[in-house]
This record gives sequence, C-alpha cells and structure tokens, in this order.
Amino acid sequence: MEIRPILSALLRNKTGPLLVAMQVALSLAILANALHIVSERRDVAARPSGLLDEASTFYFSVRNLNQDTPEQMLSTIKRELEVLRAVPGVVSVAQVSQMPMSQSGGTTSVAADYRQQRESGYASTYFTGDSLVKTLGLKLVEGRDFLPQEIPEVNEQTNAEVPKLVIVTKPLADKLWPGAPAVGKTMYFGTGDGATGAQVVGVVERLMSAHAELSDTGISSLIMPARQYGGGGAMYALRSEAGQRDRVMQEAEQALRKSSATPMILRIKTVEDDRKDRYRADTALSWMLVTVSVLLLLITCSGIVGMASLWVNQRRKQIGVRRALGARKLDILRYFILENVMITSAGVLGGVLLGVGLNALLVSRLEMSRLPLPYLVAGAVVFWAIGILSAYGPAWRAAGISPALATRST
Amino acid sequence: MFAYYFKLGLRNLRRNPALTALMVLILAVGVAASVSTLAILHVMSGDPIPGKSERLFVPFVDNGQPQEGATYDEPEDMQLSYQDAMNLLRKHPAERATAMFGTGMPVEPPRKDIPAFQAYGLAPTRDFFAMFEVPFLHGQPWSADDETRGANVVVLNRTVAEKLYGDVNPVGQRLVMKGEPFTVVGVLGDWNPMPRYYKLIGSGPATGEEFMIPLATAVRKELTPYGSVNCSQTRDPGYASLLASECTWVQAWFETRSGADRAELQSFLDNYANEQRKLGRLKRNAPNRLYDVMEWMEQRKVVGNDTRLSAWLAFGFLVLCLVNTVGLLLAKFSARASEVGIRRALGASRREIFQQFLIETGVIGLAGGLLGLLLAFGALALIGMQSRSMAAMARMDWEMLGMTFVISICAALVAGLLPTWRACQVTPAMQLKSQ
Amino acid sequence: MLRMTKLSKVYRTHMIETHALRGFEIDVRQGEFVTVTGPSGSGKTSFLNIAGLLEEFTSGEYILDGVNVKGLDDAARSRLRNEKLGFIFQGFNLIPDLNLFDNVDVPLRYRGFNARERKERIEDALAKVGLASRMKHYPAELSGGQQQRVAIARALAGSPKLLLADEPTGNLDTQMARGVMELLEEINAAGTTILMVTHDPELAVRTHRNVHIIDGQVSDLVRHAPSLVDAGAASASASA
Repeated sequence: MEIRPILSALLRNKTGPLLVAMQVALSLAILANALHIVSERRDVAARPSGLLDEASTFYFSVRNLNQDTPEQMLSTIKRELEVLRAVPGVVSVAQVSQMPMSQSGGTTSVAADYRQQRESGYASTYFTGDSLVKTLGLKLVEGRDFLPQEIPEVNEQTNAEVPKLVIVTKPLADKLWPGAPAVGKTMYFGTGDGATGAQVVGVVERLMSAHAELSDTGISSLIMPARQYGGGGAMYALRSEAGQRDRVMQEAEQALRKSSATPMILRIKTVEDDRKDRYRADTALSWMLVTVSVLLLLITCSGIVGMASLWVNQRRKQIGVRRALGARKLDILRYFILENVMITSAGVLGGVLLGVGLNALLVSRLEMSRLPLPYLVAGAVVFWAIGILSAYGPAWRAAGISPALATRST
Repeated sequence: MFAYYFKLGLRNLRRNPALTALMVLILAVGVAASVSTLAILHVMSGDPIPGKSERLFVPFVDNGQPQEGATYDEPEDMQLSYQDAMNLLRKHPAERATAMFGTGMPVEPPRKDIPAFQAYGLAPTRDFFAMFEVPFLHGQPWSADDETRGANVVVLNRTVAEKLYGDVNPVGQRLVMKGEPFTVVGVLGDWNPMPRYYKLIGSGPATGEEFMIPLATAVRKELTPYGSVNCSQTRDPGYASLLASECTWVQAWFETRSGADRAELQSFLDNYANEQRKLGRLKRNAPNRLYDVMEWMEQRKVVGNDTRLSAWLAFGFLVLCLVNTVGLLLAKFSARASEVGIRRALGASRREIFQQFLIETGVIGLAGGLLGLLLAFGALALIGMQSRSMAAMARMDWEMLGMTFVISICAALVAGLLPTWRACQVTPAMQLKSQ
Repeated sequence: MLRMTKLSKVYRTHMIETHALRGFEIDVRQGEFVTVTGPSGSGKTSFLNIAGLLEEFTSGEYILDGVNVKGLDDAARSRLRNEKLGFIFQGFNLIPDLNLFDNVDVPLRYRGFNARERKERIEDALAKVGLASRMKHYPAELSGGQQQRVAIARALAGSPKLLLADEPTGNLDTQMARGVMELLEEINAAGTTILMVTHDPELAVRTHRNVHIIDGQVSDLVRHAPSLVDAGAASASASA
C-alpha cells in the first residue's frame, strides 16, 4: 500500500484535497446535528396521548345565542348530551373543559403536602361532567372512575366549590408519591395554608396535557368531576366506533343543530387535527432538516466526483507513465481509491470535531440537546462510504487510460 | 472591456454545459436557502414601527407570590393584573397609554344568509389607535365619552366588514354581538404589522383581530379574556373577583414624547410599585421593568430558537455550496490554461486576466441568482406551510429580492477569487509548449 | 532478447485506416545497443509502444525474452513490463509531486518488493547515476540532464533485461546529451540490452547497429562496430 507517497503528493498539492475534505467535514457536522434534531422532533410529535383511539375521537364547542339563565343553560347541556348519545355509532360522550393537544386549557400547580415551600409540579386540569375516562378510552391502572353521584353541578359564575376528588395520571402520581399507591392520598392545589386538597380516587396510565408541553407537565394531568354551566357554552368530547368518525361527526352536528330552537355556533375539531396543529412547527422543521440533509449529501457527492474527475484528467500523462512502468489497471484503481479514502478520512475527522463543536454551540445558544455519539459514528460511516463510492467512477476511468500515453506528447 | 468580458463570460457558460449547470445549480440552492431564511428573519426581527419604537413601552410589575430565597424565577407571564393596569393608566406621566385584552363574541350578521359565528377581537382603550398608528378605512375610533360609559360601540376590521356589509360603509349600522346591538363607529384599513407586536402574549388570529370594543365595555359585559390568564393564587369565582384578583391577563403600553422620557416613566413605575408594596399588595421585591418595542420582541423571543436554527443552517449550507463552487471553478479554469497562456502571450496583463475571469465568475453568480430566486420562492412557500402566522411572515419584499442577487454574486465572486488568482499565475511561455 | 516477425499495426479511426507498421521484422540480441531511426510518421513511436507492451499489435508475432506476447491479458503484460523492461522518455516524465526517492520507487512498488529491498535498490540506482545526494529533492529543482538521469535510475532500479529509450536526449543541450549517452553506454557495457529511438544521426553511429524505418518497414540496416557485437549475432533481415 503506497500510503506515504500518496500522502506526500497530496501535501504538495493541498488546495484540491483540502476543498474536498472541507466539504466532507462541513456536511458531516451539519448532517449529524440535523438528523439528531429530526429524530428528537419526530419523537416529540409521536408521543402517545393516552387515548384509546385518537382517530375516532373528536369534540364540539357549542355556543347558544339565546340569553338563557344559568339553569336553562344546564338543562340545554343535558339535552344536548342526550341528543349526542342517541347518534348511531357513538361509543361515548362526555362534557369536558379542554382537550389534549388542543393548545387551549388550564394548568395548576400541585403539591403532595401544602406545607411544602415550593410546588411539586404543574398539571393540566380537565373538568368533566361525565366519564372522560370512558370517552377518551383512558387506561385505569389504579382505583376507579368517578361515580355519577360524585359529579356536582357547578355554576361557573357563582359556585366557589373546589373539587374534592381527583383522578391523576401515573407520571404525576409517581412524582408526588414515589413508590406508593396513590389512591386515597390527598393532593393539594398549590402550597401554603390556603391551599385546598382533593382525594385521589383513581390513576390513569397516560393523558397528555392540553398544551402538550415538552416538560413533565405534558404528561401530568388531573381529571376532576364537575358539570360546569353558566359560561355561555359547553364542550363535548365524543368517540365513535372505529372507522366511523367522519359520518358520526356529520350526523352528530346535524342532530345538535336540529335539537336547538335558536341558531347555534358550533366548532368541530378532531383530535387528529389537534395533534397535527400542535406539532406543525416541529414537523415542518423536521422536513426542512431532512431536505437540507439530502441536499448536503448530493452536493458533497458531486463535489467529490467533480474533483476526482478533475485530478484524473490533470494527471493523464502521469497515469500513462505509471502504467508504462508496470502498473496494472487494478493498481491505478487502488491508487485513486486510496487517495480518496485518505482525503475523505481527513474530512471525516474534521467533521466529527466540527460536529461536536457545532453541537456545543447549539446547546449553549439555541437550547438544543447534546448530540449522542451514535449519530457522529453513523455520519462518519455514511461519508466514508460516499467518499469511496464517489471516487469509483473517476478511478475506473483513470484505470482505463492507455499506457501509450506515456510516449505520446499531449 | 467590461461588456467584452461579460459577453465572453456568457459564451463560456455554454462551453462545458454539464459543469456549468452543476455550478449554477449548487450556487442557486445555497442562495435560495440563505435568502428564504433571511427573508423570514427580516420580517420577524424588523422594526414594525420605525420612528416610534423607542417611544412605546410595555410596563411590568411582578405581583407574584413571595418565594423562599433571594432570587425569584423569571415570571412566566409578563402581563398585568386588572388592578395594576387601571392604576397605571390613571396616574401615568406619559403622553398616551393603553391597556387591552383579547376576547371573543358571537356575532349575528344582519344578513340572514350568513350564519352566526364566533369572532375574535381586542378590547383596548381608545389611545390604542393613535399609539399604534392604526389606519381607518371608514369612521374613526370611539369617543372618550363612549369609553367612559362603556358604550356598545365597535370597530370592525376590513375583512369582517366586507363579509357582513359588502362594499358599503357600515358606520352607524347596528350589529348584534353577544345578544346586544353594537354601533359600528369605524372600519380599519389594511393593518398587518409583522409581527403583531402590540399583543405578543396570547396572540390573536394571524390575520388580525376581527373587532375592537372599548375595554370598559368588555369589562361591563363580563367578557372572558382569551389568551393567557395566569393566577398565582386561588380566587373566587365570578367576574368581579377576576377583576379584583392578582391574576394577570391585561397588557399595557405607554407612549412618551421622546426616548429621553424613559427615565421619568421608570421612576413613576418604581414609585407606584413601592406604594403598592406598602399597601401589602405586591409581595415580591422584584425589579419593575420597562421594555420598548424591540426589547419587548426580544423578551418574548419573537425570533424563536427554531428560526435561529434555520438561519444558521442556511448559512452553513451556503458555505458548503461556496466551497463546492471553488472546487468546480478551479476545475473549470484550470482547463483553460492554454487560453490564458495565449492571451498573455498576445499582451494581456495579469490584471486583465483577473478581471476577465472574475467577471466570468460574476456571470455565473448572476445565473445562480436568477435560479436561486425561483428556488427561494418555492422554499418560502414550503416554510409557510408550517402555520398561518408563518405563512404571513414567509414573504419576499423588494429589499430581499435585491439581496438575493447581492448574495449570489458576492458568493460567486468570493468563491472565484482563488481560482481566478490561480488562472493569472499561468506564464505565457509554459503553455505554448506542446507538453 | 526481442524478436518481432511479420508484425503489423493498423489504426482505425472513423473511416480512415492507418498502417503504422507493415510486415515489420526485427531481432535484438542480448547485450546489444540498437538504435531505431526514421523520419517523422515512419512508425518509430508505434514500434516502441508495441515493443514496450504499451500497445497491442494487429497481426504478426512478438517474442520478448522467450515469452510470446500474443494473447497475454493486460495484467500479464503489466507484469512483464514491470519485470523485464525499463523506460526512458524524451520528456523525462517524472512525477512532479514526488521527490527523487519516491519517483524511483514507483515501479518497485508494483513489483512487490518489501521496504528494505526497495530502499536498497533505489539508493543503488541513484548512486549509479550520480544523484544519491539529492534523494529528497523534487524534479523541479533539477536541470534537464539531471531529471533524465533520475528517469534512467528509475528504469534501472528493477534490474530490467531490456531498456527502451524514446529520444532520451531530445530535450537536452549538447553537453547534457553527451553525459546521458555516456551513462547509457556504461549501462549497456554492464550487460543491459538497450533499444533506443532517435532522429539524431550522430547518436545512431555510436551504437552497435542501426535499424532504419520508413513507412512502417525496416528499410536498411547499418552495422557499425563489429567488435562490439557478440560473435554469432544475427543481422536484421531485410524486409520481405
């Protein structure tokens, strides 16, 4: 293996090889970081919500235009729930105050003990007048759901009653009472002497918060029993039988509108769309990074092929001479591949260093996360492969150069 | 000579079509990436109200709960409580002031063929319109009297006005909103500041609020604040207790006569906070702040991390394309060594060779700019698919258009420096020998 | 050593056929120093390329050191070239990015010698041409004559049986040319067969014999110094 003479020749003529190595280094650094970010965002957007069948779940936000008293509003709500339950294909309906991943909802601070200095964390607050567990298809892992008699009717304008019972999500339970069963424990809304508490009756495995935060709060949710009325409108969550969502949505809307004497303002949203909207920016960024990565590979590839072709062309005479001196086609091929491997290796080494440096910059300035080693390794392997494959074409052409070129003047 | 070299450059583009096409394409891609992210950054971080941005201020006093330890967490919510906002508005020394919150109301259109809909709007005080230089198509802001009485008056935005009334001037007409008739007193002209800096917390629709009613009216009708309501303590139910509580949900702005009045405003704010602390209302000993428009946008991270990431990425990408172009140019020019030798033998100086090749590089830059512009439009369209607010920002104005060509030609010239310099080094004699 | 019988080389480009060599015959004995002369276009270069296994021929027979060249694949020909032949070109053809040591090293690498053996051979070869002290220098730092001598060292390093020289003094001034010729004569005296193409008639007379080519065929032969020729060396046959 003629490593030393190749290296020596490369060092004499540094510009070209340096340009190629720089391209490889830059591409590798960017690619490794880009793909890591893509992977992270994809993971974030794929986080399960805890719902049994997202594709079949949707909700209505209803607003009546008549000037009802709060009591009239309450009976309207009950009537509307009956109407919705009667629609064929509806598995379950529940009145709810917010929906997961909808980017609209309430958050409260929670504590295991009101005497704590600081709250234990934050949780998303779901109020329901029916069985949210059944409608969203949540999985109970401890305890039970609320009983109908445990759900008070709460006039939002006047009723100061705080919920006495609560269902929490498992991650929140583990945070508040690590290693112990949560059912029966009291959870406090905030800290200090004025903080009120509620008793845990059940734990669901998972329910994503309304804002789907990236922090712990995203999977810390509370479900509290309350049929809220008097605010001028209501929100109903529905789950249809699998595959029936769109038909059921249409029929339910029609049924609701028909059931009201006065016109109503109805807003319909599916959980699927909420998920798309919540992660739209992350998905868009991912696609952009993927596009750029592909372009990076293509450009670097073309750069290597271009430069390799150029060098083969420039050294036609030299190649002829080598053949005249006894080099076989294989020897010439090997020479160029080896030369390219050396340049690519220098680029890969530079790229790994640059990638780590770039990542440090991203972490400190843009609040991104650290780059795990496998990405750099994978990137290095990919660029090595590209380097060798790209050089094959020009190297093959070099091998085809006739030894007679040595004697013929250009 | 420039025209001659330019023509030569154009002709040489056709010489090695594959190599030239590759070069132009790669340059175009790099330029497109940079320009599209730059365009968005330009929109996001540009001064939305130049000439006034150092005279408009957002005040902040921290009314959160006291915490253990000397340092406090940065408050999540930088809005004011209703109490603080009203107090500041009453006693301020500035030229103008306004407070606002976002809300929504069901609208029953006058024409029966348009169904009722939920409209999203803003409830500011009347100084809002003068402070932010909001243009009016018809009518004018409500009067001070309307404001004091909390009258049922409304200003509509252009889109909604056209949807409800067509091209007719609706000033004076009645519109039923939340069951009560409102009198239309004005219609806004096209007003699309990018970003909507006047209300960055709990921002409204990307195309702008559909209606505006006096703050006092919204409070009188007990309209729910849309956006973010942040309560550090539990509060009693009911609207009255919302107004009296320490929940923050109101945004306020001051306008001073000049930037120099800032200090006066700051001391007013400090005095107010001290007074409130003595009354036992403000419990934290946290600093009171004033932000002018640009500082506010910075605080609210209008240019988010993702946008910054895109900008850095685009720049890195452009650098890669540049390095690639240098290599390709080296290839292209080295093949012309004999031409250079002959030209030099025929009397061209090094400088003239330099000019010729640099201008040729410029021609490539021009071609790259043209293609890059097309690609940039495509890229902006793709980026706009992210969200409606992004779509509003992913725009190219004339400045950016010009920037495309500047970037493209400069990039090409920078890339071309080394290859051009190399080309000049060719000695006349050496290239004329058959070897 | 080298024998060609009824050798033909035809070039076909587009519609044109060029007969570079027709019915060419030559027989070079071990230890001879033969020059090949002829006007431009006579086929000298084609002859040299074929002799050096750099090109294939159209018809006829070529036996090199007992090996029939016909039918050998590219790898075998390269091997043969590497082991038995040494090349000296008019334009020196040193690799500019390598120093003298590495230049002489090139053919040895393809031979498969180990590092120690290569080092020995290179140092010997450079010493033989008088350039051992400048081993680490680069071709650009040497004069034309010195460069050619390095090329000769490169040709010799592998201990070839036959040296092929293509106008070795063509790019040199008279003094350098004389030096190179003296070196070649030394090498020949030491036992290496040399076949040299030249258009300089003065050089042609210094060698054992001269083969003159016109229009792809041997036209006449001139024997110079019989004493330099082994007893029993055959004379080149006249063309048919």
